[in-house]
Amino acid sequence: MSTRPRIRFDSDGRCNACVWSERKKELDWSTRERELEILIARHRSRNTSFDCLVPVSGGKDGSYVAHTLKTRYGLRPLTLTIKPALSLELGNTNLERFIESGFDHVQVSPNPGVMRKLNRHGFTEMGFPYYGWLCAIQSGVVRMAIQLGVSLVFYGEEGETEYGGTSRLEDNPIFDTQYMKQIYLEGGLERVLASAQLPERCTYFFSFPSDEQLRESQLELTHWSYFENWDPYRNYLVAKEFCGLEESPSGNSGTFTNFAQNDQALYALHTYIMYLKFGFGRATQDAGIEIRRGAMTRDQGVNLVRLYDGQFPEENLDTYLNYYEMSQSDFDAVLDRWVNRELFEKRDGRWQPRFVVS
Amino acid sequence: MGQLHRGTRGCVIVDYGMGNLWSVASAIRYLGHTPQISNKPQDLQTASHVILPGVGSFRLAIESLNERGLADGIRDFVDKGNGFLLGICLGLQLLAAASPEDGQTAGFGYFPHAVERFSFPPTSDLPIPHVGYNSVSFSHQTGIFSDLQQGSYFYFVHSYRLAPALTNLNTGLTHYGETFVAAIDNGQVAGTQFHPEKSQTNGLRLLKNFLHRR
Amino acid sequence: MVKKRLIFTLLYNNGEFMLSRNFRLQRVGNLEWLKRNYDFSRTAAQIDELVVLNVERNRFSNDDFISHLQKLCDFCFVPITAGGGIRRLEDASALLSNGADKVLVNTMAADCSHKVIEIAKRYGQQCIVLGVDIRKSNGSTRALVDCGSKLVALEISDYLTRLRELPVGEWMITSINRDGTGQGFDSELLELLPPNFERPVILAGGAGKPEHFLDLLRNPKVSGLATAHLHNFVGDGLKQVRDLLLRDGQELPIWDANEIAALKSSVDEI
Repeated sequence: MSTRPRIRFDSDGRCNACVWSERKKELDWSTRERELEILIARHRSRNTSFDCLVPVSGGKDGSYVAHTLKTRYGLRPLTLTIKPALSLELGNTNLERFIESGFDHVQVSPNPGVMRKLNRHGFTEMGFPYYGWLCAIQSGVVRMAIQLGVSLVFYGEEGETEYGGTSRLEDNPIFDTQYMKQIYLEGGLERVLASAQLPERCTYFFSFPSDEQLRESQLELTHWSYFENWDPYRNYLVAKEFCGLEESPSGNSGTFTNFAQNDQALYALHTYIMYLKFGFGRATQDAGIEIRRGAMTRDQGVNLVRLYDGQFPEENLDTYLNYYEMSQSDFDAVLDRWVNRELFEKRDGRWQPRFVVS
Repeated sequence: MGQLHRGTRGCVIVDYGMGNLWSVASAIRYLGHTPQISNKPQDLQTASHVILPGVGSFRLAIESLNERGLADGIRDFVDKGNGFLLGICLGLQLLAAASPEDGQTAGFGYFPHAVERFSFPPTSDLPIPHVGYNSVSFSHQTGIFSDLQQGSYFYFVHSYRLAPALTNLNTGLTHYGETFVAAIDNGQVAGTQFHPEKSQTNGLRLLKNFLHRR
Repeated sequence: MVKKRLIFTLLYNNGEFMLSRNFRLQRVGNLEWLKRNYDFSRTAAQIDELVVLNVERNRFSNDDFISHLQKLCDFCFVPITAGGGIRRLEDASALLSNGADKVLVNTMAADCSHKVIEIAKRYGQQCIVLGVDIRKSNGSTRALVDCGSKLVALEISDYLTRLRELPVGEWMITSINRDGTGQGFDSELLELLPPNFERPVILAGGAGKPEHFLDLLRNPKVSGLATAHLHNFVGDGLKQVRDLLLRDGQELPIWDANEIAALKSSVDEI
């Protein structure tokens, strides 16, 4: 019985992320690269402004994609950031440095009050602390692509394929807003919007264009990870060398790495709830990445997971309470709602695992 | 040998400015005894066990011991039969006859050996200094070599060693390009080319054997 | 014959131990963290040597470093090499009388090599480990000093030839490119050594998992392999490395942590 949504295990007990990881080693990437060239060519003739749009946060992944499109393929990408709530200083600095390294960039700041409401309702209704932002980096990006007349959008990795979710896009480069709503937003957008009770005119960046608009725009959404072996560590090295990426001086909450997800404070809460829901947290995620890239063995990963996984982001608690305008008890009630009680029990006011990772 | 008069003091580690005293002291403390670190000859007189550590130049070491009166102090200690002496690394070499390093310098002469460079030129297969754990075989597993298996590993780091000499003394031998003395013991004065304080279990056992000498 | 060595490196910075990635530091934990997560008294039975480097930039004094060194020595009966910012003979002396068996110098060899000779005269050359940090970029290979912040002007082969003249015991070569990446050691760095190099060489930079040590430790040019990956070898990680090497038939001393523990306070009153 696994606790990661949509993950599948084969008869040898290997999850689809690992199976895909092995498959990637044998894959003929040159075919996929040719597909990329065709895709780029198709859109180059359409766009008079920019060749493509790359959503970025200033972190390693978007920076890598934008940098590679620019330097290896000679494209002119427009980079786009949807400003998150509770942005961190390091994240802001990294974004500035990224832009500094030579990119056209647009920042969209959806109304923070609206985003806050959606984040809060996402937190309580779905256990997704930054649901509003999660939505905006999809719907908002799509909106802006259409507005700015760019018809090709490159996201970074396809999370489901790379990290053990549905494998629908393993062999398919193009996805659509249906997939976004169904899979990435877990089918909850309508519900969250309804419960937040926001008037329609406020939610431009949090809603998708009509099917007709999408058809007219000929917008194609794709993931870089389809065309090239996705390697988060490589992305980090490239972003560090060419886009000015800096790491946090100490490890990030709930994990042993310091070079990823440094842009917003809510990420730590997101991975903490993931831990409560599914029994695996950020350290497990990061260990999986390290193991698949050959930097450590599973046994070593287990040691690190036992040490770091599931740390409650204590240092941010006040920030979260202030942000959501919640009391401690209301906050705890949300955690209580989403925790998997088969995996955790409450001791001294905190959820503690009943399990030992091995 | 007659009954040795037992010193009242304890273990003294000689400080003459040229040794890693802390590691040796740390090992002795771990074993359960608090050693005294001293640069005063008078402290040697009341000791029961004296350790002479050392790293560096033979000549500088002898000069340093002489200057501080420690060389005489050590000789008196041994002569009076006041206790037991253990030389470590350079400390062992000082207890030997002489060394040509930096010009000919005489040692204490408790062992007949000269101290010289390895007989072979260093190569990438046999680089110098000899660094790392190497195995030691003992003529007799008695005295300070009690409870040590043949072929026990000890840590070496040196460029000079005791040249071969005829002796009936209880010795430990090791091999690195050639066979040479890793340790030697005349019952009262002993020495190790290796560092027992850096040789895990085996080294601690040897130090324990030394401290148990009566 | 002398055995190959498995070496663990600790990077000390202002009271804490660090993880390094291409010489950029991440704080991991203090001495308490180390004792807890490395169970150092048992971990010491899994390694052949310990290296402790003070990587604090712009420091005022070495006192804290020295007190940490002393504490590490208390339960560590393998040789300890200490270094980082050694600028004068006095710095080396302080380390050598407080727990270090060898000192590591790096920048000193580039900036004021006569001081290396001074240390060798006083303590013997076998006390000195020469650290060389190497980075490859844009087709060129160069050495860097001062915690990887300053480029050595000389071409790498000229620099290494010059360093060969210095009276030191052994060399420790670190790949800056591989450092902390878990991508494995860069054995190509061994090709940079002067021909028939006559000193023991330790290679460092890039180890992530036990397998990385396997074939390389058999390489005749290598006397020891070092890792500073404080994350990956946490818990019983170092034991996993040693066990793998032993299973592979490599001859390494086998120490029993229980036997070492049994020797504690085992001496009768004198």
